[in-house]
Amino acid sequence: MKRLLIGVLALVAMMGVARAETLRILMETVPDTEQVKSLLSEFKAATGYDVEIEAISYIDMHTKLVPQLIAPTGAYDIIIVDFYWVAEFTKAGWLLPLDEFAQRDGVDLGRYVPKVMATTGQVDGVTYMLPFYNYVMGLVYRKDLLEDPAEQAAFKEKYGIELGVPKTWDEFKKQMEFFTRDTDGDGQNDFFGTVTQAQRGDCIMMQSSNFLYGNGGRYYDENWNPLLNTPEAVQGLADFADATLKYSAPGSEGFCFDEATAVMTQGKAYSIITFNNLYATINNPETSAAGGKVGITGVPGGGLMGSWGWGIPKSSPNKDGAWAFINWVESFDIAKRRAIMGNAMTQTALFTDVDVVAARPEAPSLEPLVAEANAFPVFTYTVEFVEAVGREFNLAASGQKDPKEAAEAAQEAFADLLRKDGLIE
Amino acid sequence: MAAGALARRDQRFGLLLTAPGLAALLLVVLFPLGFAVFTSLFDYTLVHPNHDTFVGFDKYVEAWNADYLPDALWTTVKFVVASVVIEFVIGFSVALALNRVTRFKNVYYIILLAPLLMNPVVVAQLWRMILHSELGIMNYVLGMIGIGKINFLGDPVAAFWTVVLVDIWHQVSFMAILLLAGLAALPREPYEAARMDGASAVQTFVHITLPLMRPVIAVALLLRLIFAIKTFDIVFIMTKGGPGTATDLISYFIYRSAFFGLDVGRASAMSVALLLIVLALTIYLYRYMKSLA
Amino acid sequence: MAQITLKNLGKMFPPDVVAVADVNLTIGDGEFFVLLGPSGCGKSTTLRMIAGLEEATSGDILVDGRRVNDDDPADRDLAIVFQNYALYPHMTVAENLAFGLKLRKVAPTEITSRTAATSRMLGIEPLLKRKPRELSGGQQQRVALGRALVRQPKAFLFDEPLSNLDAKLRATMRTELIKLHQSLGATIVHVTHDQVEAMTMGQRICIMKDGHVVQVGPPMEVYRNPADTFVAGFLASPPMNLLDARVVDHAGGLAVALGEARLAVPGAFNGAYGAWRDRDVVFGIRPEDMHDGAGPGGRTPLDVRVVAVEALGPEVVLVAALADGREIHARLGPGFVAPIGSQQRLHLDLGAMHLFDRETRKAIAQRGTG
Ligand SMILES: Nc1ncnc2c1ncn2[C@@H]1O[C@H](COP(=O)(O)OP(=O)(O)O)[C@@H](O)[C@H]1O
Ligand SMILES: [Mg+2]
Repeated sequence: MKRLLIGVLALVAMMGVARAETLRILMETVPDTEQVKSLLSEFKAATGYDVEIEAISYIDMHTKLVPQLIAPTGAYDIIIVDFYWVAEFTKAGWLLPLDEFAQRDGVDLGRYVPKVMATTGQVDGVTYMLPFYNYVMGLVYRKDLLEDPAEQAAFKEKYGIELGVPKTWDEFKKQMEFFTRDTDGDGQNDFFGTVTQAQRGDCIMMQSSNFLYGNGGRYYDENWNPLLNTPEAVQGLADFADATLKYSAPGSEGFCFDEATAVMTQGKAYSIITFNNLYATINNPETSAAGGKVGITGVPGGGLMGSWGWGIPKSSPNKDGAWAFINWVESFDIAKRRAIMGNAMTQTALFTDVDVVAARPEAPSLEPLVAEANAFPVFTYTVEFVEAVGREFNLAASGQKDPKEAAEAAQEAFADLLRKDGLIE
Repeated sequence: MAAGALARRDQRFGLLLTAPGLAALLLVVLFPLGFAVFTSLFDYTLVHPNHDTFVGFDKYVEAWNADYLPDALWTTVKFVVASVVIEFVIGFSVALALNRVTRFKNVYYIILLAPLLMNPVVVAQLWRMILHSELGIMNYVLGMIGIGKINFLGDPVAAFWTVVLVDIWHQVSFMAILLLAGLAALPREPYEAARMDGASAVQTFVHITLPLMRPVIAVALLLRLIFAIKTFDIVFIMTKGGPGTATDLISYFIYRSAFFGLDVGRASAMSVALLLIVLALTIYLYRYMKSLA
Repeated sequence: MAQITLKNLGKMFPPDVVAVADVNLTIGDGEFFVLLGPSGCGKSTTLRMIAGLEEATSGDILVDGRRVNDDDPADRDLAIVFQNYALYPHMTVAENLAFGLKLRKVAPTEITSRTAATSRMLGIEPLLKRKPRELSGGQQQRVALGRALVRQPKAFLFDEPLSNLDAKLRATMRTELIKLHQSLGATIVHVTHDQVEAMTMGQRICIMKDGHVVQVGPPMEVYRNPADTFVAGFLASPPMNLLDARVVDHAGGLAVALGEARLAVPGAFNGAYGAWRDRDVVFGIRPEDMHDGAGPGGRTPLDVRVVAVEALGPEVVLVAALADGREIHARLGPGFVAPIGSQQRLHLDLGAMHLFDRETRKAIAQRGTG
């Protein structure tokens, strides 16, 4: 009996040791995850840790994470955090502050683009995450059409201004209208000025944010007062509804980014406002009819900020190992190699690094994109905010509700949630 | 007297035999249910996951007053009626046709079962691709045969019917197979008697098949009804309830309350309310069917 | 009422089951006709072809001289009573009776009166409001019968309607069916595997085997002159004793050589059996043609050993063994007793003997021509 007990104890102890040697991470099934995977053997060589990455689709992540975060000891040593969840996770106290670790190992937090650091790095001066990759939205446009002299002449004729990479929102609106046409003369448009993704939920919120910013609107002011019924915001929503109903492919009311991107890669649209990390796909001649013909620029007025960060949950079984991994994966060398593989960079120096630029000529043009991006409202009820406001925006974009009315309803829903979160009276 | 005692002893013995099963059932079914009811009386959120704040029926009032709840309820009613009725008609027709088939029965079964075995998320994603308004094959084919493109997921009315039809595509075989099993189990003799009595095909269907199938039909309708009320994945993947609120089904509505609104208390209140509605509906239908039989 | 004629009727189920082969029969108007045979011999299939529930693969079915092969069952105006009754489980007894009339657009008043009359005749009036599952087997059987009667069809087809009843009820129903037939004067084709039913009910019986008709005739004629060993062995219980034997010369005449025993053939048969001298035959004798006493004379003795004595009350069945061990059955008077294993002398009434061709199994006519 006693011997059995000792045996079991020994086994448990061994399992404990074995566990300590393996770090588990929950990640999303995206290229950036693959890039990390390809480098793991080097981490093992350097530290002796095995790393086990569980990659699942975005829609399952939040549901899978929460129980592990609530538990005293969870299944994951390291997690990646979407900016959506930052307020929720930090407010619930699920993330471990990283400042001590960073100080101890001399990590220069200033290496990150400040806006990214503000989004998935620090909250109220405390560092909870190191930024992993950004998904700032940019404006992808058809370079070949802009450079076509015939188009240029026709545009000038119609609007009295030059056709070029849009610098102002108004210019972009004219271009959306200009390029929307019926090329085969069957009475239905078949080439579109842009492609919107107006599906209810986060698809519409992500993209329509750019229309809000383009018009100079903002979600809230410095005191968290909601600004969704301001003239700029109403105009932004009206512009988005117009774009969806007039200048985008039919059905855009139900598109998310995959369907929208497909229209662009089929060569059926002049432009798309989308995540900058999709640019490579759109510009790839092997997979896209628009391959080699597109450029990317910042959305006039600033695109939507989006990013992921590395975090250590308080429920992490091995916090030291977790930090060792984050410190390694975010070290300049490894970050650079990931950047060369296509990672959407978060460290300022990488955008102009010679090797990175050699591999990705568009890299320098991505830096202002990130630097000028505008943050999305992040508070405890961000997910519900996306739901409620997204519904109103979608009603407007599908022509079921007047933009002004929808904006008022969105304003009210936003205010309710801010109140519930104690951010306003 | 002795017989009575014996019967009582038998009863007690039977109870003893079924006790473990009953206990397991209670644990598995009633515990979560009880937990949901309990939670619905508290301000239990994912941010503060505890039962510290008792709020009585506040969450129910809150749930009732939730924005767009009437839309979701109405959409759900329309969806359930449309999908169950159409599935029943198609499913019964298919079952009747297949019941006559003697050759390659297994092949038909496999074809029938295929959609049913597919993960709903995959089904929804597949259809999203097929129904892409610009690039999907459906509109390509419709364009070729001159019907013109349909804005399947963008137009509110079209989107509702698209969701209904995709659900039918996915679930109709359940109905068909259940009804087919029922048909296959029907006694052959009354049909021969009816032929001798001079019944036409239609008369046979009305006077023999339908009445004999009534219990199976009741079960099939009831099951599908309950499943239809719980429909979630298709909407979640295909439309997120949009455009606007055109496809906002109650299950998705509740899901959002819990996981987007982080308000488990309110979501529990809604679930409990929904459960009571479904239960009432089930009992009513069951009674009704029984009264017919 | 109707006459039913079957001409070269055949039925083959795919791929190659020949259920009925070349059946030729004429069932007279008003006749109680019995199809008798062991299970699987094709009786039901024949009946169902007449009814129209199975399509004939060859031959013709005529009702009153009109070919009905291509008519719907409903148009043939025949009624069938199924072995398992096939009542409509969801209808009350009254509805079961009325269903066929309603479909035939019989006037409601007429339906009521006919239903009432039929249920009175069958004594099922108290059951009219019940569902079939609330009835006993016998009651269900009556309702099934009623459903056929109420239609007043040209002919009735019964497919073993009594086989699911217990022995006593079956005997009662036999009598009732006979009475019914007498009062209605209807044409009835009755299928059964029970030879007692056939013998007692049929005006004529048709014995089938492996899809073929073996013999047709009035019960007693078939009983007395079975066409082959099959019929001989099928009718009556215990059936005719059938023993392999040879025809030999014996004392200036013929005898049946049964092992060592020699049974002298009555002189009257010598002419007919002469051609079979020194040939293999099957010797047949019914149990009641063997006695324990010498009687008034003319009986032929046969020594046997007693194997069993089954006292049935009005008679005793003796199971006995020949010298070579072959067993025979004899029906003896109620007073017979004998210890098991004892030797016993039986006296055979060879005037009632049968001989069959060992190869074809067909009867060899006793008196010359066949
Ligand atoms: N539907 C059928 N398919 C194939 N074989 C059948 C079918 N019905 C009957 N048979 C075969 O035909 C033969 C005669 O059957 P049946 O007429 O029912 O016999 P009976 O009524 O004399 O018992 C049997 O060998 C039976 O197996
Ligand atoms: Mg039969």
